[in-house]
Amino acid sequence: MKRATRRDILKYGAATGLATGLTGLPGLSRAQEKLKVGTVFVSPLSEIGWTKQHSLGVEAIKNEMGDAVEITTIDNIYLPQDAERVFRELASTGHQLIFGTSFSHGTPMQKVAPRFPEVAFEHCSGIKHLNNLGTFEAKYYEGTYVAGITAGHVTKTGKIGFVGGFPIPDIVGPGNALLLGAQSVNPDITCNVIFLNSWFDPGKEKEAVKTLVAQGCDVICSMTDTPTGVQVAGENDAWSIGYASDMSQFGNGKHLTAFTLNWAPVYVDAAKRVAAGTWETSERWLGLKDDVVKLSPYNPDLPAEVVAAADQAQADISAGTLHPYAGELKDQSGAVRAEAGSRLSDGDIRGMNWFVQGMIGNLG
Amino acid sequence: MDLFVSMFAATIIAATPLIFAALGELVVEKSGVLNLGIEGMMLIGAAFGIWVHFAGFPMILAVGAAVVGGALASLMFGVLALTFMTNQYAAGLALAIFGAGVSAFIGRGFGTTPVEAIQPLHIPGLSDIPILGEMFFQFDPLVYLSFVLFAAVSWFLYRTKAGLALRAIGESPDSAHAIGYQVIRIRYLAVMFGGAMAGLGGAYLSLVYTPLWVENMTAGRGWIALALVVFAAWRPRRVIFGAWLFGGMTILQLQGQAIGLTVPTEVLSALPYVATIVVLVLISRNREAMALDFPTSLAQPFRPKG
Repeated sequence: MKRATRRDILKYGAATGLATGLTGLPGLSRAQEKLKVGTVFVSPLSEIGWTKQHSLGVEAIKNEMGDAVEITTIDNIYLPQDAERVFRELASTGHQLIFGTSFSHGTPMQKVAPRFPEVAFEHCSGIKHLNNLGTFEAKYYEGTYVAGITAGHVTKTGKIGFVGGFPIPDIVGPGNALLLGAQSVNPDITCNVIFLNSWFDPGKEKEAVKTLVAQGCDVICSMTDTPTGVQVAGENDAWSIGYASDMSQFGNGKHLTAFTLNWAPVYVDAAKRVAAGTWETSERWLGLKDDVVKLSPYNPDLPAEVVAAADQAQADISAGTLHPYAGELKDQSGAVRAEAGSRLSDGDIRGMNWFVQGMIGNLG
Repeated sequence: MDLFVSMFAATIIAATPLIFAALGELVVEKSGVLNLGIEGMMLIGAAFGIWVHFAGFPMILAVGAAVVGGALASLMFGVLALTFMTNQYAAGLALAIFGAGVSAFIGRGFGTTPVEAIQPLHIPGLSDIPILGEMFFQFDPLVYLSFVLFAAVSWFLYRTKAGLALRAIGESPDSAHAIGYQVIRIRYLAVMFGGAMAGLGGAYLSLVYTPLWVENMTAGRGWIALALVVFAAWRPRRVIFGAWLFGGMTILQLQGQAIGLTVPTEVLSALPYVATIVVLVLISRNREAMALDFPTSLAQPFRPKG
C-alpha cells in the first residue's frame, strides 16, 4: 500500500503548478514588435463582479489598440505564493506591461518588479509603489455616497443595511459614505453593518441580508463579489444597491443603482503610455470625475427629484464642491473627526478604521 | 418571538445542504472509504442542476440531474480508489479540485441570470397555524426530503441486513469478503450514494438557497460536511444535530453583529466552528463508544485475497 507522504504532495503540487503555468502562457516567444500585456485575475473569469470589471478593462485595450497588442490573461490566482511565480513568468516571457488586480498580489509584485526594471507593473488596490510598479485604486466612497442619497430617499424605516467582506478601510470607508449620503437626506437614518469575514460565501451573505431585513433595514448594500445580496433583498421586498457590476436583473425590481467600477481608462492609458515609451510609475486614486467609479442606471421607479438629487451630487463631487467626508464628521462615540468646513485627509480616508455616527456595528 | 421563529426556520434551511452532503459521506465512510471530494461533487451537482433548469426542464429533473451529476463524479473517484486502489486521500482531493474546475466550465454563461427558486410548500391547514406553521410547515420540499433521508439512512444502517453488511465491510473487509460479501461492489454503491447526496446538497444551494450560479458557490460547505461526520463520531443523529448547531450559530452571530454587539466580528465569525467542534467533541468524548462507531478500515484499499 502506498501512502501519500509530505514529499509526494510537494512533488505533485510542484508538477501541477508547472503544468498550469505552462498552459497559462501560450506563445512563449514571439517577435517583439507587438506590445505584450499580461493580466492576472484573482478569481475565475466570471460574468459579473470584480474580475468581470477588470476583464472589461483588458477588452478596452484590445478595442483601442487592436492588433498592436497581444494580451495574456491568467485567472484564479489568489494566493501570493502562486502569484509570484505567475508574475515572474509573465515578466520573463516578454510582457512589457503586467497588471495585478488584487490586494493579495501586492507583495509578490513588489518582489518581482525590481528584478525586471524594464517591465511596467500596475497594481490595482495597491498601497506601495516602486520605480516600475504603479498603483491605482477607486474612490468607492464617492459611489456609495451617491447611492446612499437614493437610499435616504426611499427608506421608510430609516434603517439601511450594509454587508461587507472584511472590516478593512476599503470596506469600512464606503460603508460610512453610504450612510453619510443617506443622512444628507435625513440625519436620523442609521445603518446596521455585518461583516462576513469572507470574500465569498453566497450562503452566509444570504443569511446576513435576511438578518438585516429582520432588523428592519429596508435598503441593503452588499459590498461582496456576488449578486446574492441584491437577490435576497429583492426576495424580501427590500431595496438594494449593487457593487462592481450592474446587478439589476437580480433585484426583483428593487435594485436602486449599483456603484460600478470602470477600469477601462486606466488600462488603456497605461497600455498607450508603455507603447509610446512614456510610462512612468504613479499612484492614482480615481473616482466619479475620472469615470472610474460610475453609477449604473437608476431604478425606473425612483421619482425624478431623487434622480436629480443623485445626479447633482455626482456633478458636485466631480467638480470638487461636495466631498462625502466633509465636516462636521463625528464617529460612533460622538467625537469630532473632521471639523465643520474641513474634510478628512486622503490619508485618513484610506486608513479609515472607525465608523461614523449612526453606524450600528463593531470594528473590534 | 417573531425573531426566534424566523431564526429557527433559517437554521433548518441553512443546515439542509450540510445534512445532505454529510449523510452521504457518513454512508461512504461507514463502508470504509474516505472520499474527500465532497466539495467538488456538490459543485458539480449545483452546476448540473442549473444547467438542466436553464435548458427548460422542470425543477424535479434539474434536481435529478444534480443527483446524477454528483453520482457520476463519485464514480470517477470510485474507479480510482476502489478498482485501481490509488490513495484515497489523493483521489478525493483530486475530485474536489476537479469538481471546482468542471462546474466552472459547465457554469460559463450562467452567472448573469437569476434562477426561479423552488418555492416553499403550502400545506393547507398546517402551514397556517401561527408560529408552529412557520417553524415546521413552510419549508420547500427538499427540506422534508432531508428529514426523510435522515430517517432512511439511520434505518438502513442500523435496522437492515444490508446496512449491517455495509458496516461490517467498513470494520473488516477481509472478514466480510470471507463470508461472501462483494466488498468492492458494495463500496461502489456506497460511494455513489455519497456522490448523489452531495449532488443533492449542491442543487439545494443553486436551486433553492441562493438561487443563482457563482463559481465555487459552495464556499467550503463540502469540507464542513466532512468535518461534521468526523466530529459527530459517525452517528447520523449527531450529524443532524451538528449541522443545526452550525447553521444556528452562524445565524446567531450575524444577528449579534447586526445589533452591534461589542465583540470583534472576527470572534463572532469563528463562533460556529468553535461551538460545533466543542459540543460534538464533548458528546463524543466516550472513547470506547467512539471506537465502536469508527469504521476501522477507513481509507484503506481492499484487495480480495484468494
